[in-house]
Amino acid sequence: MTAPALRVAGDSHVGKVRRTNEDSLLVEPRLGLYAVLDGMGGAKAGEVASRMARDTIRDFVAARRGALPPRQLLEQAIAAGGTAVHRAAKASREHHGMGTTAVACLVTEGKRAVIGHVGDSRAYLLRGGRLQALTRDHTIVEELVARGLLAPEEVARHPHKNVLSRNLGARSETRVDLLELEIQVGDRLLLCSDGLYGYAATEAIQYLLGSGDAPDHVCRDLIELALRGGGGDNVSTVVIEAPGQAPTSTQVVRTNGAAAWWQKRQRFLAIAKERGLTRNPIVRGLDPKEALELVALSLCEAVFHDLERSTGVNVWTFTQHLAGGWFERGGDWASIRGVIDILGASARGVVDEVRAAEPQLGILLDVAVSRALVVAELALGGLLSDRLRQVDTDMIELASQRDTLQSIPEFSEVPEVTESRDTSERFVDRPTIPFLRPDRPVTGAGISAEVLDGVHKALTIARARTNPRAELIKQVLVALDAIASEGSESFGTAVLSARELYGVRAIDDAGVMPLFDALDQARILTTASVHQIQVPEGTRARVLRAISTAHQRLVGAMTGLVLEAVAPFSDRLREAQAATGKLRDQLARAERRCADLERRFATVADDDGHLWGAQGDTEP
Amino acid sequence: MTGAGADMVEAVRVLRDEVLDTVQHGDREPPGAEVFDAVLRALAVGGDTVPGLDLTLHDAVARRLAWGDGEEVVLADAESVFDRLLIAVERAFRDPADQMVVAEAATLVAVTVARVVAHAAVARASRDRAARLREEMAQRQLQEALEQQQVTIALLEDEQKRDY
Repeated sequence: MTAPALRVAGDSHVGKVRRTNEDSLLVEPRLGLYAVLDGMGGAKAGEVASRMARDTIRDFVAARRGALPPRQLLEQAIAAGGTAVHRAAKASREHHGMGTTAVACLVTEGKRAVIGHVGDSRAYLLRGGRLQALTRDHTIVEELVARGLLAPEEVARHPHKNVLSRNLGARSETRVDLLELEIQVGDRLLLCSDGLYGYAATEAIQYLLGSGDAPDHVCRDLIELALRGGGGDNVSTVVIEAPGQAPTSTQVVRTNGAAAWWQKRQRFLAIAKERGLTRNPIVRGLDPKEALELVALSLCEAVFHDLERSTGVNVWTFTQHLAGGWFERGGDWASIRGVIDILGASARGVVDEVRAAEPQLGILLDVAVSRALVVAELALGGLLSDRLRQVDTDMIELASQRDTLQSIPEFSEVPEVTESRDTSERFVDRPTIPFLRPDRPVTGAGISAEVLDGVHKALTIARARTNPRAELIKQVLVALDAIASEGSESFGTAVLSARELYGVRAIDDAGVMPLFDALDQARILTTASVHQIQVPEGTRARVLRAISTAHQRLVGAMTGLVLEAVAPFSDRLREAQAATGKLRDQLARAERRCADLERRFATVADDDGHLWGAQGDTEP
Repeated sequence: MTGAGADMVEAVRVLRDEVLDTVQHGDREPPGAEVFDAVLRALAVGGDTVPGLDLTLHDAVARRLAWGDGEEVVLADAESVFDRLLIAVERAFRDPADQMVVAEAATLVAVTVARVVAHAAVARASRDRAARLREEMAQRQLQEALEQQQVTIALLEDEQKRDY
């Protein structure tokens, strides 16, 4: 068996939190064998387990290749690795309970690949610009989903989502999942540990893998990506590339896509003009040509440069400058929204024309330009979020200044500003929403550097253990970090964080309860993570106390916001009840008036001298 | 969180007066007693449970709300118990591991109380919304009746003017 000519590279990094690297790599082009293993267990047992399994797999394949078909060869090799780890764990008390995950790829003649895996290390395939996962994690929740016992949307909230259902070493015999595929020209295979996908968005992995750079550069970039995302776990990657003439989608966009876009810049300006860009208040005072060049052409250039380099930094900067400058001048939201909408529509118009002429290129350009527009929206959202945060800070600062002034005798006579709505019923005597309590400081008390460091480490580990798609839980963890850093009296930070988390929600169970689910998941994660940091026991207790207090503050502030949000419902009900009462009174008056008139008729005699109502239909 | 055992529960139970400030509030149902009891139950049971599974705590909070305590008051009591408990435990327990067990239980209960209160508030908002709809329907019917009465009054007044 000779392995086909492939370009392969592997790299591993200890990460930013762990002290030892328990991952192991296997890159054996001579055997066509590649693997990533992620060890687990106390002390250095994880390291021992992953190395032992790696060596056993390599030796098994080297000894039996040719004697067994590739599928059985890889399956038995991985199983042998598991058996070796299991025996060692049983033999030594020091290594008791150790284990490892494994994802391995055996490339055979004819460019066929067999992929085997156990645990939550993954294999991905990038083909035609699209990234697909080849493996399914062996975790308890994934098994439950596969058996139909758990809905996929519940995975992110499940308390055992990180618990492995299978690993090498837990049992003497291990079931290995296998997959075979034909490697095509231009394919890229990625083997990685959870330290990569736990810290990096799938889109970012796809982008780097499809960048067209050499595999060793890609490995290095992927690790850098995970480190920038927090680096809370060991991270290992192996990239296997079948080089060929077919350019990657990223390369196509960088060259043909960018060129096609730039050739259409006059069309872009024309559409922008048609859609009324020159009439927008943002460009008031400029002549139309100048307005188009300053706004539309600048965005067109930014998109072009971003397409060339596969980044979003130019569009981001453009949007930040445009919207930031407008807001600083006191501009309104509708105008900037209008400009971005016009530019987005112009971009889509250009892409449609490219797509009509060259469908394949058009599809790729569509994706790339859509991404640029999303970046613009994100930049806009970031600015709005900053403005909201500033307003909140100013409000808290003003409330604090007011309380300080009122505590000084000569200012105590200043009449307090009262709300038009009567709040005495809602906030009886112990209001909960922190910024409404004048006795509470809004700035933090001290927290020791040692505890602060422990808090950061624990929360970093917790973030590493969070499902990458569980955005709400991640936000809660970030908020806890900020609140805990401020100390136990950091109510201001808790309120700001709660406001950010709360965002805009429906006032019902479906809208509100996910917040509390996320808070509870974060509690479970942080508690487990505190036990993993390496600090003296006394410090660990203080770290847990700091995080618990932060958690309580965040939960309190969040519930306070919910109470604020539901208060108008009671107010509106009271108003409606008052209006109904008023109508009832009016109706009663009208009925009395009516009866009165009818009574008068009853006293009027008709032409024959009979009184009205004498027949008994109206009372006299 | 692991099961803390009877000793731990008893050790925390002796802090009741201090945590609930019974000197100030009296021994009979001091504010936040339901939260303290929930912490004891969490310590006795141990282990992570499904959020809000403590039905006794649900019941106790619901009863307080039904008796007229505001949601803010219930929440403030829970916060006060949480703070006082952590302070008392740090002083009373020398072993950091014991302190951590209590802190974990207290956080679990704090999240559960918040969830129960938020749930009650959202349910109240739904009821208020439904009641407002009923009020608006009643208003429409009243408005129609009022308009009819006004027409009748106008007719009667006209007739009366003609007759006189």
